[in-house]
Amino acid sequence: MSGLDSLTAVSQADGIANRRTFLKIAVGAGAAVVLSAAPGAAWAATSAAADPRAPAARTRVYVLVIDGCRPDEITPELTPRLHALRTQGVNFPAARSLPIMETIPNHVMMMTGVRPDRSGVPANAVYDRAEGVVRNLDRPSDLRFPTVLERLRTGGLTTGSVLSKEYLFGIFGERATYRWEPAPLVPVSGHAPDQFTMDALIAMVTASDPDLVFANFGDIDRFGHSDETGSSVKIARTASLARSDSQIGRFVDHLVTVGLWESSVIMVLADHSMDWSIPSNLISIDLILQDHPELREQVVIGQNGGADLVYWVGSDAGRAAGLAEVRALVTAHEGVLAVHEPAELRLGANAGNLVAYCRAGWRFSDPGVLSNPIPGNHGHPTTEPIPFFISGGSPRVRTGITLSDPARTMDVAPTVAAFFGLAAPAGGYDGVDRAVAFTSV
Amino acid sequence: MGGQPASSNAAVLSAGTRFDHGVASGDPLPDGILLWTRVTPMTEAVPGSGLGPDVSVTWEVAEDSGFLRVAAKGTTITGAARDHTVKATPTGLRPSTIYWFRFRSGGVASPVGRTKTAPAAGVAIDRLRLGVVSCANLQAGFFTAYRHLADRGDLDVVLHLGDYLYEYGVGEYQARDVVVRPHDPTTEMITLEHYRRRHAQYKSDLDLQSLHAAVPVIVTWDDHESANDAWSEGAENHAEGAEGTWKARREASQQAYAEWMPVRYDVGGQLYRRFGFGDLASVSMLDLRSYRSEQAANMVSADISSPDRTITGTAQMDWLLDGFTQTDTQWKLVGNPVMIAPVRFPSTLSTAEIGGVQALLGTTTIDGVPYNVDQWDGYAADRSRVISHLRDHGVTDTVFLTGDIHSGWACDIPADPLTYPTTGTSVATELVCTSVTSDNLDDILGVPPRTASLAVETAFRTANPHVKYLDFDSHGFSVLEVTPAAVRMDWYVLSERTSPASTSSLSTSFRVAAGTQTVTAAL
Repeated sequence: MSGLDSLTAVSQADGIANRRTFLKIAVGAGAAVVLSAAPGAAWAATSAAADPRAPAARTRVYVLVIDGCRPDEITPELTPRLHALRTQGVNFPAARSLPIMETIPNHVMMMTGVRPDRSGVPANAVYDRAEGVVRNLDRPSDLRFPTVLERLRTGGLTTGSVLSKEYLFGIFGERATYRWEPAPLVPVSGHAPDQFTMDALIAMVTASDPDLVFANFGDIDRFGHSDETGSSVKIARTASLARSDSQIGRFVDHLVTVGLWESSVIMVLADHSMDWSIPSNLISIDLILQDHPELREQVVIGQNGGADLVYWVGSDAGRAAGLAEVRALVTAHEGVLAVHEPAELRLGANAGNLVAYCRAGWRFSDPGVLSNPIPGNHGHPTTEPIPFFISGGSPRVRTGITLSDPARTMDVAPTVAAFFGLAAPAGGYDGVDRAVAFTSV
Repeated sequence: MGGQPASSNAAVLSAGTRFDHGVASGDPLPDGILLWTRVTPMTEAVPGSGLGPDVSVTWEVAEDSGFLRVAAKGTTITGAARDHTVKATPTGLRPSTIYWFRFRSGGVASPVGRTKTAPAAGVAIDRLRLGVVSCANLQAGFFTAYRHLADRGDLDVVLHLGDYLYEYGVGEYQARDVVVRPHDPTTEMITLEHYRRRHAQYKSDLDLQSLHAAVPVIVTWDDHESANDAWSEGAENHAEGAEGTWKARREASQQAYAEWMPVRYDVGGQLYRRFGFGDLASVSMLDLRSYRSEQAANMVSADISSPDRTITGTAQMDWLLDGFTQTDTQWKLVGNPVMIAPVRFPSTLSTAEIGGVQALLGTTTIDGVPYNVDQWDGYAADRSRVISHLRDHGVTDTVFLTGDIHSGWACDIPADPLTYPTTGTSVATELVCTSVTSDNLDDILGVPPRTASLAVETAFRTANPHVKYLDFDSHGFSVLEVTPAAVRMDWYVLSERTSPASTSSLSTSFRVAAGTQTVTAAL
């Protein structure tokens, strides 16, 4: 079933005057979707005058992130709807994720257009020196650079966020005009299944019709992480790809049905891809340093699957020599690909003092060997290639071409902003406006 | 027709000075090109003779074939010390531009050549079309493959992947048992004079001249430019002492190569080098002879996987791997003289078939193990470095373009050959062009083309599921079309390599879609 089946919603305040409003909508066969809106934002479904502009007079942009998808997984047989979108639009096969190839930093790069040394978000998990804990960067205050979600609002446009993962909802918070808090959440994975995410996306388009919607679909990533057959036949992953593809198809069908297809631009990309390791291919810096307790006590490790961030917490006097020794010990491990200074990767101070990448087919597990039991991981360079294409029914989208341009996740914000005529932020973007995907106005 | 000397050109007969060996261009850059010719200032100044005076040679590069809009010109001196060969390197040219060029000396003009500069770095390129050739044995036939490539008129550049000429004496290596055109000198080339004369003989072929005059080339050598199965300190076809020292022989071959080939290379220098074609592709040309360790005795030798043995040498390996992780171009094309895809010998062949493959590949065979110690199969540690690097860094769109083995192949390069049948995981692809003339399996078996070899090909594909296409019989050339969406190779085969009137026809096509690292038949 596609589209909005019933609008049972009630607009209500959240108990604080002139703050958020909520809308509850039933879509498809799933549970009701609850959306929230910024103060003063109208609900199209409850107010005919929500947006005085004629629907056909403006173009919507939907950024759909297929979390963890590999570019070679988009095929006519396995993912026919995604493949059709890619074929019809502008494909960037040389596209890549950026360090650290994790979900939160790359979603942040998409919406800010800048590298982590400017946004403050280099990884999923970092050591918070102020709090003395390793934690996810899942707080609105962790993101220190404006995103297009709020910058477009200042220009009179509306934006929406439909993010399937709890920590993504956390860091992007209330930046968008309209938001969906992911639900129901799958235990352990902390994400809402794609069917519910798509329910929310369709509900948001129906209820508020934002100019830009930023959506994340987490099933492919989550099934990839846990797929014990990932290094061979990828049973769970493959099934998930097919299901998620059908959800994307459902969205396209909805846009066609409600007459929005011709005014829609759909950017599809992944935040990173996925790599699988066998249980024995595990690297633990904690284990590497177990014979060097004097060193082990001086470092804290932020584990990010295919990358470990090493933070020196010892004395300033011992830092240089200590880190050099840690670096030498870690580099010597057969599963370690490289150890970098965070500045080499433009990660900023939050990434600590050293960044270790593993080889393909390996993973990190810290602070202990049991910390990361999952076979599917990313964060290391082998997970850089991503799908990245711009499609949709809008006549602004060029059709059926492939380009060598080295698209990156941080290109989304400059591309979207330029499309809507929004100027670059102070200091400019690090990403590139991929305007080549569009015909001139 | 091929094999006739270039002196039929009226311009070169008008004075004592002649340009008997045509003109050529190579190693295109966005702002420059290398131009080549050989001037014969007097009758006695034959190639390899060491005779003849120093002479001045002027060169011109123009935007039109009538030379009304000259873009660059200059003068250089050549003489017997470099066998009267001439190289010029005009700069300041415009990218992606067709130019015409010619030389003058002693009041005589050379034939006119046509060339093209490379696109500027970073510029979007919709399409690049390359000819791909290797293994041209003059004694085994005519170079009609070159003529067919020259006649296309749609190529940006031609890659020559080695065995541009052969060292053998008359009767030592030909077309089955027939010497179609005898080599000069008649003996195996060993000395500098020999190498120069042999180069001159090949450059006298009009089909070869037509190709060089029509399109720039990017060349590398394989073994036969010096001697069969060459390595850093010797060669299978070199008898130390009886044929002098390998050091002296190799230097002679390299000097003649530097003199006679349109390549930015000087003796003792570095032949491996990289070219860029906008944001679409890079071409890394490998030298797999100068730095390699000696071939292992056989494929069960422990030497095969020794990390102390190399096919590239350390510096070239570092350079190659670094090029893979540069992200300024989409397609990473590698001019690769010998096959890198693993190939295991099937266990189902007859004795005759095994003998034929042994003769073609020049190696001993043992069922179920890799079959050629002269290929990357014989240097497993170096190949592992390449494959691991591609996989570890998530490198996409790497295509090895290969010659050497006188047969056409399209292969995936498995991340792990053992798990490939289950996973299909491939880190790159390899497309192998066949020989221009050199013998292959039907020639060795003495059977008509596409008869007995078919069963052998099927057995090889079965034993090596990553091999998607194999033609052990045909001779010809390939055309590689590169676009952002895919790389596609077309294999063209000759009707009869021993006929100067041979026609060519499209045999098959395979493509590598962007981002897939796998070959598929092109419909």
